[in-house]
Amino acid sequence: MKELRIGLVGAGVISYAHMPALLALGKEVLVFSEVGAPELVAAHGGGTVVDSFDELLARVDVVDVATPTFTHAEYVEKALRAGKDVISEKPLARTDGDARRLVDLAAELGRTLYPAQVVRFFPEYAALQRAVAAGDLGELAVLRFTRSGAFPTRSPWFADVEQSGGIILDQMVHDLDIARWLAGEVATVSAVSRSAGTLDEPVQAAHVLLTHTSGAVSQVSGTWGPQHLAFTTSFSVSGTGGTLSHDSGTERGFSTDLPPAAGTGGLIPDIDPAESPYYVELAEFIAAFEGGPTPRVSAADGAAAVRLGNAALESLRTGQPVSLREEVMA
Amino acid sequence: MKVGVLSFAHVHAYGYVPRLLATPGVEVLTTDPTPWSDPSELRGRNFADQFGAPYVETLEELLAWGPDCVVITSENSRHREFVEAAAAAGVHVLCEKPFATTLEDAEAMRKAVADAGIIFMMAFPVRFSSSFARLRATDLGEVLTIRGANNGKLPTARSWFTDPELAGGGALADHVVHIADLLDALRGVPAASVTATTNAILHTGVARAETAGLLNITYADGVVAAVDCSWSLPDTAPNWGGLTLNVTGTRGGADVDFFGAAVRGVTTAGSAELRYGADLDAAMLTTFLDGVRTGVQPQPDLEVGMRTLQIVLAAQESARTGRTVTV
Repeated sequence: MKELRIGLVGAGVISYAHMPALLALGKEVLVFSEVGAPELVAAHGGGTVVDSFDELLARVDVVDVATPTFTHAEYVEKALRAGKDVISEKPLARTDGDARRLVDLAAELGRTLYPAQVVRFFPEYAALQRAVAAGDLGELAVLRFTRSGAFPTRSPWFADVEQSGGIILDQMVHDLDIARWLAGEVATVSAVSRSAGTLDEPVQAAHVLLTHTSGAVSQVSGTWGPQHLAFTTSFSVSGTGGTLSHDSGTERGFSTDLPPAAGTGGLIPDIDPAESPYYVELAEFIAAFEGGPTPRVSAADGAAAVRLGNAALESLRTGQPVSLREEVMA
Repeated sequence: MKVGVLSFAHVHAYGYVPRLLATPGVEVLTTDPTPWSDPSELRGRNFADQFGAPYVETLEELLAWGPDCVVITSENSRHREFVEAAAAAGVHVLCEKPFATTLEDAEAMRKAVADAGIIFMMAFPVRFSSSFARLRATDLGEVLTIRGANNGKLPTARSWFTDPELAGGGALADHVVHIADLLDALRGVPAASVTATTNAILHTGVARAETAGLLNITYADGVVAAVDCSWSLPDTAPNWGGLTLNVTGTRGGADVDFFGAAVRGVTTAGSAELRYGADLDAAMLTTFLDGVRTGVQPQPDLEVGMRTLQIVLAAQESARTGRTVTV
C-alpha cells in the first residue's frame, strides 16, 4: 500500500506535539504555515516546507489542520473539497454552524474528518472511559473535571473570544467532550466566568454545569492562570458502582525538584513519552484512513463539543441555563 | 460553666458530648426530647449513658438547671424551636448547621436571638483548621476562581438526614453550607447568584432527596465558585468523606485538602486510611465557650448562618426551576 503523505497546516504549539508523532509513524510530512514552518521542520529534523496551502493540497493525501481556531473551518472545508481526509485540531470550528456544516460536508463528499479531541487519548481518561463502558461505576451520577494552566499569551487570538471562544471553547472543550463521552447527551448547559489580571498577565476562569439527558450532572472547571501556573488536570466521576478520581498533579511517574525556570507554566500537559496521547491519537486516525478500525471520536462528537462550548458562552451572555433538550432529542 | 446539650438527633452530638465532658470547668447536662424521627436509633438516656453524661427527660428541666449556654444538635428543621426556647431563657447558643431549613424559621431565629441579646454561634468547624488559617494568610493576588468539593457517604447513622422535611433537603442542605462558610470567612463577599443541578441517582430507594448536587456561585465581586456537595462516596470507602478547596488568583493558586492528611495502606480488611490532624470540633467548642465566658460574640455568627442558608435556598430553587437564581 502506498504510504499516506500528511500535510500539516500551522506551526504553533500543537504542531510541535503532532510533528514528532507523525514522523514517528514514518509518514512523509509536508508543512504549510504562514509563520514558523522552517523552524518546526528544523526542530524535528524531518518534514518538508511547502509555500502555499494549494501546493500542500496538491501533494498530500491527508490534511492535519493545526491552525488557530477561527481558521479551522476554512482549511478543513478546502481540504475536504480537494478530496482529502482531514484531522482538525479542536475545537472543530469556532461556530456551531461551521462545525455542523463540516460534518455534513465530509459525509456528502465521502471523506473522513476527525477532530483532535486529544484528551480521549490520554491514558487516564481512556482508562476511566473503559471502566465506565464496562459498567464498573454502575449508572453515572456526578462528574467533575478541572483543567488549569497558564493563560496562553503567546498569540493574541487566544484572548479574543470572537476568534478562540475563550477558555471555554479552547481549553474546557476537552472536558466538555469527555463529560459527553462518558455520560451521554446534554440537556442543559450553564456557565459562569471571570477575567482579571492585566493586559500583559491576563487570567481567566470558568465553570460549566451540564445536566445530561440521563439525569447525570457534570461540572467542568477551567483556569487560565498566571504565567507560572503548572498545567494540571483532574477528574472525579461517581456512579452507583463507585467513584474514580485522578489528579495529574499527584499521579506522576517522574518529577523533579529543581530551581524554577522562567515561564514554566504550562499549555500542554506533562506526558509520558512512551505513551504520548498525540501519537496514539494520530496513529488511530491515520490507521482509520488506511482502512483500520473506526476511531474513538467522530466528527459529530467534535461538533457536539463545539455546541456545548457555544451553549456555555450563550449562558454567560444571558446569565441563565441554555436548554439543548430539543436538539439532542431530535 | 454549665453547658446543656439539646437533642441527640444530629450525629455531631457523638463528637460534642465527650469533648464537653472532658473540658475542665464545664458541667454538662443533656436532654433529647421526643419526638424522635426513628425510635430504633440510639437516642435519649441510652445515648447519654454511653458517655456517662448527665441526662434529663425534658427541655424544661434542662433550662430550669440554669445553663450558661447550650449546644443544639437537633434535626435541622427543629433548630428554631430549640433556639427560641434557649433565647427566651437568656441562654447562649451554639447551633448545628445548616442554620435553618426555611427563610421563615431563620428570620424568627434571628429575631429571637436579637431580642434576647444572647451570643449565637454556628457550628462550622472546618474554618478552625490550621490549613484554613494558612489559606487566609496566603496572598493569591486578586481572586479569580474557586473550586470546592464536600463529598461524603450517604449519611445513614440517622435516618432523618435523608428526610427532606426534617433535614431541609438532601445533599444541598447538608454540604453546601460548609464551603459557603469557608468562602464567607475567607473573603467576606456575599453571593450574588447561584445555579444548581441535582439528581437522586445514587442511593435510590434509601434517600428521599437529592444525593448529588453541583453549583456555580457568582459572588458580588464577580469571583466564580464551583461547588460539589454530593453524597458520592461509596459506602465501602475507608472514611466518611472530605472537603477540598482550590482558590486561584492573579498570583497563583492554593489547594487545601482539609481532611487529606493520612497514613495510607492496605490491610486484610481492604484499603486503610489513618487520618490525622488537629481536632477541629475541640477548637470550635473552645471558641464558643470563650465567647460565652467573655461575652464577646465569636465567629461564625448568626449572620453567617443566614448567608450560608440563603445560598442553599437559592440552590434548591435553581435545581427546582432550572434557572439561575439571585441570592
